[in-house]
Amino acid sequence: MIRILDPTLGSAPALPATPRAARPASLRGATLGLLANGKSNGMALLDRVADYLRERHGVAEVLRVAKTNASAPVSEADAALLAKHCVAVVTAIGD
Amino acid sequence: MPSVTNRAGIDVADPWAAIEACYARGWTDGLPVVPPTEALVDAMLAAGPWAPDEVLLHEPVRDRAVTAEKAAINAVMAGCRPEYFPVVGAALRAVGDPAFMLHGPATSTGGSALMVIVNGPVAARLALNGKGNLFGPGARANATIGRTLRLVLLNCLECHPGVLDKSTQGWPGKYSLCFAEEEAASPWEPLHVSRGVAPGRSAVTVYAAESGHNVLSHGTSDPERLLTCFADAMAGLGSLSPGRSVIVFAPEHAAHLARAGWSRARVGAWLYAHAWRSLADLKRGGKVEPAFFSNPSLVEWLYRDSPGGPPDPLPSAEDAERVSEGDEAVRVHRGLGPDDVLLAVGGGEAGGHSAFFPSWSRGRSVPFVTVEVPA
Repeated sequence: MIRILDPTLGSAPALPATPRAARPASLRGATLGLLANGKSNGMALLDRVADYLRERHGVAEVLRVAKTNASAPVSEADAALLAKHCVAVVTAIGD
Repeated sequence: MPSVTNRAGIDVADPWAAIEACYARGWTDGLPVVPPTEALVDAMLAAGPWAPDEVLLHEPVRDRAVTAEKAAINAVMAGCRPEYFPVVGAALRAVGDPAFMLHGPATSTGGSALMVIVNGPVAARLALNGKGNLFGPGARANATIGRTLRLVLLNCLECHPGVLDKSTQGWPGKYSLCFAEEEAASPWEPLHVSRGVAPGRSAVTVYAAESGHNVLSHGTSDPERLLTCFADAMAGLGSLSPGRSVIVFAPEHAAHLARAGWSRARVGAWLYAHAWRSLADLKRGGKVEPAFFSNPSLVEWLYRDSPGGPPDPLPSAEDAERVSEGDEAVRVHRGLGPDDVLLAVGGGEAGGHSAFFPSWSRGRSVPFVTVEVPA
């Protein structure tokens, strides 16, 4: 028998670095954030999602943020803006 | 040196069963790997200056830390000799530089390869090839150092095709794309010295590269005619973007530039200035996406070499496909400036075959990264 070492990192980190926010009980009357990654059609896709959520779940307001660089993380300022005003945020890619 | 890490592993009957076990667990790049026994991994670790649990690469998007030991395991699997490990470690540090944003090139539909250019005395010491068949198979150091990066992405960062690695097509450079610059054939200072490393030291420069374009030129020794061919390749619609460029001049082409006395800066500036297509061409080729006009940095890219600057008001999404009067006169350059063009020299002495590699990144979001190889 020979032993070979595992080249992987095994399972994912046990605890996420940032605890998850509580799930909102309802979206009725809420402000929904849309975070597009800046690629073509990303915001168009999100607008369709927002329409559905308005019709079916009573979302009231929509706050749109589009990154200008698809491969960079959302800026601190934009993240703070979304966190401040939105009950939930939907993010999407176009490509 | 005993490992202080958790040495997870599997027991197998013999090396041939080990090769199959690695395949069964998805631990390979499709080619067989060298079974990473503890003895081989320890020898690899001992050849580098890092403690086994020292983190060589941290990927922040998914919070994954690749230790020297995990790097050594993958280096053994790739077929590296222990003396290659300092170069492997330097390359991992380079792609792990936060500015490189590894998650992007590693997972994007763009499917880029991780190019590693090695400079300095370490190249000769490890018999890294910088001469004939530069990008091709045959040299162990070239093949296995480059391969280690891909195995780390697969095994440690879980960049499995179709799962996290969403490459539409990728290209064979993803197996391995590591070579030495042929400094003796360069008319200029070595690449790493031009990027701030002290002469006499060794370093790696990394770059997320899309597939290379062959630049074939046997008809001229005049620098402008020669570089016209390169600029034309750089201006190809298929890869046109605000992204960066790596040019690897074959020694024959480098010699023409040397005889003409053109500096590195002059060549880079000439290439940037001449690698452009008209906005009309871009529109005709469907290269202007509607989203561009609502992105200030892309508007700036499109119109920075335009008589009169961007139109006021800005075009609407519908204008992305509609060629307007004046669009023929707007020159859209590859990249954003001469600094976006990196020049290296390598290949065999005979043959006017050079290469242009477009960047994965469509802009300056990802810089060239150079890291010294530890002595």
